Amino acid sequence: MRRFYLVGFLLLMCFDTLAQISFKYAGNHALPVEANLAWLLRVFGAPWVYGAIIGYVGAFFTWMALLKHAPIGPAFAASHLEVVSVLILSAWLFGDALTPARLVGAALIVAGIVCLGVAEDRAAGSAEPADSAATH
Amino acid sequence: MSAGDTITPLAAALWLANIVLDTVGQLAFKAAAGDERAGDGIARWRYMATHPWLWLGVGCYVLEFLVWIAFLSLLPLSEGILLGSINIVAIMLAGRWLFGEKLTRLRVVGMFLVALGVAIVGIG
Repeated sequence: MRRFYLVGFLLLMCFDTLAQISFKYAGNHALPVEANLAWLLRVFGAPWVYGAIIGYVGAFFTWMALLKHAPIGPAFAASHLEVVSVLILSAWLFGDALTPARLVGAALIVAGIVCLGVAEDRAAGSAEPADSAATH
Repeated sequence: MSAGDTITPLAAALWLANIVLDTVGQLAFKAAAGDERAGDGIARWRYMATHPWLWLGVGCYVLEFLVWIAFLSLLPLSEGILLGSINIVAIMLAGRWLFGEKLTRLRVVGMFLVALGVAIVGIG
């Protein structure tokens, strides 16, 4: 189960990161935001929205595989590993500043996910019947 | 928040829509994926595809996709992520109420560290 979660969440991070970076490019390309066909055409006329779709679909299948075993609350929190990868990539691609505060935030996210991982390790030891039994 | 003056009514409405769609969608996905009657492999996917939870989740996912593109074109990605940190708490509480997920001390600490970290990244 440890390997299942490790591989699953890292794969999820890659797909989520692809989606978010593509979203940003797609949104920038389609300005200004309008509730009309012209905006949708601008969004779907640029290649970036398709990168976002690939990221979304990949993340979807990975996420549904993870949720077979993972409790939704901790799993959703752990899926925010993407914030760390997006932070680093957006500093590189968009010139967003890597401030000390952001690095502290990224470290807290990683620390939190380590806590969640240790919690799952302990739960696996005690079998934790509540998670699976309660889904019926 | 560093850019509170940039939160227009449109952005606020899109944010609210994002919280609701994210929470309902994630709970629906867990209901679909955690159903032990679904079995394994291809049969599991066939079972999920013929039951409503997966499609409720997908519906929320698709709407959230459009809401998120619109939202990110109004705000920088980092501030979008800051506002998204509240979803972590909403989904943690919903998982406790609807699926009986234990809120052990280590889980609560982990989830709050992640939510705090996400908020700080957004502010930073």
